[in-house]
Amino acid sequence: MGADSGSGAAPGPAVSWRKVLWERQPFPDNYVDRRFLEELRRNEGLRQYRYWAVVQEAGLVAQQISCVALFLTLWLYMEQGLLSPSTLLWTGLLCALLGYGLYQALAPRGDSDNHHRTRWSDLQSASIFLSFTFGFSPVLRTLTESVCTDTVYAMTALMLLAHLVAFPYAHPSPPGSLSLNAALFASVCLASRLPGDLHTSGGLDSSSSPSSLHTFTMLCWALLVFALWPCLLQRLRDCAPWVFGCVCVLVGVCGVGGLGSLWPGGAVLLAALLGTVTLLCPLLLIRLQSDKDNIQGPWDEAEIREDLTHFLH
Amino acid sequence: MVLKIFFPQCCNKADSGLLVGRWIPGQNSAVVLAVIHYPFIPGQVKQYIHQSGVDLTVLGSWSMPKEGQEGMESFLRDLSTIFPQGQWLQLSREMGKIGFRYGKLIQQEKELKEDVEGEEGGGEKDKVIFIHYEQRKVMLSQLHPIDNGVPDPQTESQLPQVFGTVCQSEPLFFLDKYDDGPVKMTHWQSEGREGSIIVELMKQASTPVCLLTTWMLTLWTSLCSSRILNMRPMRFISSKLSTCVQLSYRTEHLQTVCSPTRATAHNHFMRKANIFVSFFVDVSLGLLLVSWMYRENRIGKLANTLVPAADYVAKELEELLQWLMGAPAGLKMNRALDQVLGRFFLYHIHLWISYIHLMSPFVEMILWYVGLSACLGLTFALSLLSDITALLTFHIYCFYVYGARLYCMTVYGLSSLWRLFRGKKWNVLRQRVDSCSYDLDQLFIGTLLFTILLFLLPTTALYYLVFTLLRLVVVMFQGVLHLSVDFINSFPLFAMGLRLFRSYRLAEGVKFRVLCEEPGTPLHLMMDINPLKVSSVVQTYRTPTYSCYPKDSWLALCKKLFLGELIYPWRHKTTKID
Repeated sequence: MGADSGSGAAPGPAVSWRKVLWERQPFPDNYVDRRFLEELRRNEGLRQYRYWAVVQEAGLVAQQISCVALFLTLWLYMEQGLLSPSTLLWTGLLCALLGYGLYQALAPRGDSDNHHRTRWSDLQSASIFLSFTFGFSPVLRTLTESVCTDTVYAMTALMLLAHLVAFPYAHPSPPGSLSLNAALFASVCLASRLPGDLHTSGGLDSSSSPSSLHTFTMLCWALLVFALWPCLLQRLRDCAPWVFGCVCVLVGVCGVGGLGSLWPGGAVLLAALLGTVTLLCPLLLIRLQSDKDNIQGPWDEAEIREDLTHFLH
Repeated sequence: MVLKIFFPQCCNKADSGLLVGRWIPGQNSAVVLAVIHYPFIPGQVKQYIHQSGVDLTVLGSWSMPKEGQEGMESFLRDLSTIFPQGQWLQLSREMGKIGFRYGKLIQQEKELKEDVEGEEGGGEKDKVIFIHYEQRKVMLSQLHPIDNGVPDPQTESQLPQVFGTVCQSEPLFFLDKYDDGPVKMTHWQSEGREGSIIVELMKQASTPVCLLTTWMLTLWTSLCSSRILNMRPMRFISSKLSTCVQLSYRTEHLQTVCSPTRATAHNHFMRKANIFVSFFVDVSLGLLLVSWMYRENRIGKLANTLVPAADYVAKELEELLQWLMGAPAGLKMNRALDQVLGRFFLYHIHLWISYIHLMSPFVEMILWYVGLSACLGLTFALSLLSDITALLTFHIYCFYVYGARLYCMTVYGLSSLWRLFRGKKWNVLRQRVDSCSYDLDQLFIGTLLFTILLFLLPTTALYYLVFTLLRLVVVMFQGVLHLSVDFINSFPLFAMGLRLFRSYRLAEGVKFRVLCEEPGTPLHLMMDINPLKVSSVVQTYRTPTYSCYPKDSWLALCKKLFLGELIYPWRHKTTKID
């Protein structure tokens, strides 16, 4: 009976609609019964953020901004002649040794076999850095002589911005190529703009070229701040997370303070920026979560999650 | 189908007789080659046709009755039984009338068809067209495009077959009316054979001259390929000097011309003739040049101006370098690199000038003896000039190479380090750019080098630009010289002469002119030879040379210049295989 009535004009409730396409049903093609949108899911992957956790993560961004500010402060000091390059150089070497000691102290247990090897390769790398930098300093110091100062400043700003944007905040230890290279390029540009020794420049030409020691110091500090410091930071984050938080705060304070000693207005701006990034942005993030309205359903593109572990055996 | 009869003009006024010629298979046409007059013995005629070595048949009969001679019709008809043919043509002409009368006899069907005056239509009447041609011109002319292979008689079109027929029947035309042969014929040479004493003398003299020249050339080539002259440095130098290249090329030419075998194909003959004429013209121009130069000691004056000219070039270069070392065109260069490069090049110029001054006492003598080699031809003089220019501007070439190499290294290093800057690497296996995680020290050193190269790029680029421009000027000048040498070598003078003065010898086709069109008589056309176009003459008969052509297209050249690759814009295509 049901089959006979199914071939009639009006679909009766005897035949139920099934969501299949290979069978000829008495319903029109675009018919859906009351189970419409049953498979709709809203805000499926929504994460519940906790304010202080987000603030802690944002601290890394603030820390990096203040690192850049510190570096610029050092350059300003050297440019205005308030700090002699030799002092800075020895300070930098001391900091490097201290940092290396801390790095090795915080090394995870069970790595004692590679210690000797890594120490030797570290020494090799350090000597390569120092020799190359020292060797290229005379070339680097007159590199941007013919370029206009404004252009140099603009290039520096662009490169530092690129560094901040491309920095691998999730995992700072193997440094990202673009961020590190951009920072080094900016430091070379800045290093070539340092004023020279009063003894070396004869005073005849209007642009005085920096001495090799200035350039060398600048590059060593750039290496410290941009290449080696993130490695230490990563170790800290892995081993002692609460120390990590303190360190970030300390760096921020140093940055603001350093800038403030030369340019108070800048310090205020920097403090405001840091505050926004650390405190305001997480708040915004959490507040705006409630406005989220994502819908997922069977109409989404299929995501292939590759699980290759079944190839292991 | 229309029957076409090709009738030679010389036979228009011939006495009555037999028509001999050839039927062209498949085309329903006949080419009449000659008329054999009465009286004749049919057996002798058949024997003569067999022995002549030419593809001949008896086509039919020709009657042009003189006054008083009548009644040949039936006699002529009976002749058809003596010479059995498939088709028998009966052509007749009356004195004073232009048109011919035509009759055809088909043996197998024993049917007589006559195209009577005034009668048209009614049944199948064969239409016939008489095409008159000038026998001498058609015999001497060559139809283009030349078919190099053996033509298939079935598929070949009509016109080449007609021309071929007339050309092959040359032996037929040796008998003239003063000869005491078995048959008396009328053809274009029947009034007497053409000949000229000069041509005959030259033909006699050419064989021993050719043998002598070939012997001398073999001596020369064996000398050239001896062990001493074939060492690597000598071979390298001789491949670079255009005089040596031109010398080897001329030797090859002479070998072609002086080979004792006669040229059989038309192409071969034309090539030999072209080479000979161009060689002759070349040598005469060279001798003119030599006689002009050595008169009034002009060569001495030329030698005296060479060293001051070199000095002047060097001085100009020094000034240019001083300008570059300052602030050229307001561009700000990297001072240190600028000074280094400028001083390096200045020292080079100083060395070069010292060398030139060392050579200056000997320049006149060298030039005097070397200038004598212009006797061998104008092309040699031009090649010598090109070589002297190359030698005098050798320092510019060196500077160009230094600048180009430096620039190329800079660009290459920059592109590779730019990839490192972005964290990418060139995958040689897959020929694409892949991401790569670099070590810390690689990143550091890479960035330092990138910065240095980037800021030094304007300086290197400017030096490269300046020296490339200088080098291009020299190359252009040498190119002009080489092009003119090439032109003299390859231009087909003989073929051009033929085209201008005997245009019927190089035929592209034919054109027809209506001679007589009267209703009731067959159509008479005059076939005139259409000469080959001048551009086609040059294209067909151009001697292939080591043609000096630009190796790269403009786009490829620009790309090479941009990347700093060394350019050698003119490449010689050698015809020999090393």
